[in-house]
Amino acid sequence: MSAQALKSDTPAAPQTPEPGPFDSWLPSVARADEPQWLALARADATERVHTQGAPTSKSEGWRYTGLRALLEQGFTPVDEPLSALLPEDIDDLLVRGLDSHRVVMVNGRFAPQLSDLADLPSGLTINGLRASLAEAPTALADSINAVAGEGAHVFASLNTAGLDDGMVLHAKRGTLAEKPVELLHLSVGMDEPRVAQPRHLISLDDGAQVTLIERFASLGDALYCNNALLEIRLGRDAALKHRRVQLESPSAFHVSGVYLSQAANSRYDGVNVGIGARWARTDVVTRFSGEYADCNLQGLYLAGDQQLLDYHLDVHHGLPHCASRENFKGVVHGKGKAVFDGLVYVAKDAQHTDAEMSNRNLLLSQSAEVDTKPQLEIYADDVKCSHGTTVGQIEPEKLFYLRSRGIPQALARRMLCIGFAGEIIDALGNDALAEYVADAVGNRLEAAPL
Amino acid sequence: MSATPDDVLTGEANTAAQTSSKAAEAEAEYGHLVKSEYEHGFVTDIESDTLPPGLDESVIATISQRKGEPRWMLDWRLAAYRKWLDMPTPKWAAVHYPPIDYQSISYFSAPKKQELESLDEVDPALLETYEKLGIPIEEQKALAGVAVDAVFDSVSVATTFREKLSEAGVIFCAISEAVQEYPELVQKYLGTVVPPTDNYYTGLNSAVFTDGTFVYVPKNTRCPMELSTYFRINEAKTGQFERTLIVADEGSYVSYLEGCTAPQRDENQLHAAVVELIALENAEIKYSTVQNWYPGDEEGRGGIYNFVTKRGDCRGDNSKISWTQVETGSAITWKYPSCILRGDNSVGEFYSVAVTKGKQQADTGTKMIHLGKNTRSTIVSKGISAQQGIQSYRGLVRIAGKAEGARNHTQCDSLLIGDKCAANTFPYIEVKNPSAQMEHEATTSKISDDQLFYCRSRGLTEEDAVSMIVNGFCKEVFNELPMEFAVEAQKLLSISLEGAVG
Repeated sequence: MSAQALKSDTPAAPQTPEPGPFDSWLPSVARADEPQWLALARADATERVHTQGAPTSKSEGWRYTGLRALLEQGFTPVDEPLSALLPEDIDDLLVRGLDSHRVVMVNGRFAPQLSDLADLPSGLTINGLRASLAEAPTALADSINAVAGEGAHVFASLNTAGLDDGMVLHAKRGTLAEKPVELLHLSVGMDEPRVAQPRHLISLDDGAQVTLIERFASLGDALYCNNALLEIRLGRDAALKHRRVQLESPSAFHVSGVYLSQAANSRYDGVNVGIGARWARTDVVTRFSGEYADCNLQGLYLAGDQQLLDYHLDVHHGLPHCASRENFKGVVHGKGKAVFDGLVYVAKDAQHTDAEMSNRNLLLSQSAEVDTKPQLEIYADDVKCSHGTTVGQIEPEKLFYLRSRGIPQALARRMLCIGFAGEIIDALGNDALAEYVADAVGNRLEAAPL
Repeated sequence: MSATPDDVLTGEANTAAQTSSKAAEAEAEYGHLVKSEYEHGFVTDIESDTLPPGLDESVIATISQRKGEPRWMLDWRLAAYRKWLDMPTPKWAAVHYPPIDYQSISYFSAPKKQELESLDEVDPALLETYEKLGIPIEEQKALAGVAVDAVFDSVSVATTFREKLSEAGVIFCAISEAVQEYPELVQKYLGTVVPPTDNYYTGLNSAVFTDGTFVYVPKNTRCPMELSTYFRINEAKTGQFERTLIVADEGSYVSYLEGCTAPQRDENQLHAAVVELIALENAEIKYSTVQNWYPGDEEGRGGIYNFVTKRGDCRGDNSKISWTQVETGSAITWKYPSCILRGDNSVGEFYSVAVTKGKQQADTGTKMIHLGKNTRSTIVSKGISAQQGIQSYRGLVRIAGKAEGARNHTQCDSLLIGDKCAANTFPYIEVKNPSAQMEHEATTSKISDDQLFYCRSRGLTEEDAVSMIVNGFCKEVFNELPMEFAVEAQKLLSISLEGAVG
């Protein structure tokens, strides 16, 4: 069975002294100013990076996602914060008409001069990770890796080892944030390829409700890598709407991990849009810590020429009465490649689980490729679980209908693609953001040879 | 629902009395049905000519010599053996078992009386065995159009209807005979679909296979009857390494039935078979399996390990290969009947019902590799998991860049009976052509209380109701089976599952 691969994600471990594939990613000097617990966590993670090594196509989670191009770049950590940017420099990157509390990270560093955190509602605090550590060195000791854990893949270990800055968001019990919080990852090309590894800690206490709009954007076509990791903890009855719009530069590499822990009756509603980057990998990992929690994951990816977009979803139902829905749609053209890997695991005691997974793909060109793997692992009997996948092309009948009404071929195809994507764009639930994404989708399709 | 896993692990026949939970009540009510002894568990006493356990090159040479094989066959075996030594055992399947000691297995076992002219000369004990199984050879002869090449352990002892088949030009014989009588055909096709290095078990099989079936259907011939082989594993400590090769030449059609039962044993028995199907232009092969090997006792002891590689190659245009399987037996099933759709317009089908109960584990599914234009494949997989059974569907649909207009529809449904069983679905879908259309659906559910209530309110007992619902669940697959098999399959399913509700 040659096409089957080993189940293990950890190939044989190189010993510490031998050069590892991610050596250049690791910070070269220890930081004197950081608390001891963090230095320890960093050292542990560095150790794990060495033992885990780079995943190969034999590692189940990476069989369709080659790392060669990423490793060839020899990324090094961002050393200096880029403080020269002025607010007007990023005007073009803002979402028109979006009223938000804005946090801007430049190359992985919190940039207060570009951020707008005036009049936060009471109960909501937002700060940079470095600043938080400086103010209260031990306060976050129990938060880092509390949700992401230490068993995740090598990029999570790298993020801890190279942990630099990030956003710390905390909403107190019952806080209702009316305006969304916008987290903008702005990347600026440097003279050599740099990797930024922000770590965001998002914590909603019982009953808090927040909308987080996370965006990835760049100034110009720059080569860089983002390895962002979010740890999200939702208390009882808390609700987080999480919108992620990845519009990295066409030369960029993007890795992001969203690790979620949901208490009883909490709601997570996430929409992932992936359009940018040359190579992107996103992991969403959900764990329930209470019953009746609900996790809704939607996504839209547009993989164009020479682009690889990879989404891995992992929802673990360990408790009864939780619900999860996954709805991802993809359009792939040129020599693009999209990977979807969804796993719903229902443990023995997780009765009355309601899980649904759907992945639909449109292939627009001869050399486009989709690899999809919707998996169910079920150990409880009183559950409702289903998944569906389709891969197809634009239906000729629909195309004929539009053409018979005088619409040119390319426009008709574009219209049908936008219609296909529309369901996810609508799910963004914010007019300004939806328009912004629809424009990005439209521009992309316009540039694509349909 | 309230019984803990520990109850299950240490659970003896008396758990029902010890546990006061609802599950235990259900167990008490239906336990006697679920625990019904394996119907076909008995051992036939025939003298066997068995090699001592162990495997090295001299054992392979001995096997080859006893079979009177030509030199090229021995070389082929030895080449496979040498490669096998360096191969790793596959670990990716969702099954668990203690490591197998390949040196403790005897690789050859043959009933001693071999020169048989007619059925009258067959050992009466053997005939009795078949009778216990409900498949007396005499009756098989009479049964409309079914020729039986009965394999008792490793050597074919009775072959019927040979003449009638040879009139049509169809070759239907044991593979060891074919090696001697039709070496050019065997050499041309053996190992071309499943190469010895394909995986660990094919490597082992290629080195030591002792028997199996060879079928060749000549050009533009419709095989006049359905071909059937009954396999039985009889000798303790003897792994069976069957090798089946079916070649359907241009424009021909053949339907092949394979059914299996094995006597009760305390030791795990390894079965690593290889089945290769080759369909040339406009040819069609239909391969049906009912597998009911000994699944082990309540604790999962002693069942058969069924590690099988089955693959069909639609080599010519407009060819078709259809796999239908009903898997109710074996402690562990590891089996992925696959189709390589090489020819343009070729069709691959996979219909499967798999039942796991007790501590059975099944990791099964299919691979559909679309290479040719306008190739079509259908996958219907029904998994039923009861008690502590673990069941995984693992399937691959690959549509290559040149497979213009390829079409796939996959449906895998799982039915869970009881709260300690598991059903997994691991589909792999790789599409490299935009004109391809593929759909995959999967559902997992249990028998709903509403369905049960409806049936019971009409006076059906709970077992009958469950049996009816499950048979309905599997109907799509049973419809694909030849008639005699469909009846057997339904009976098997009912025996396997009656009362497994609770």
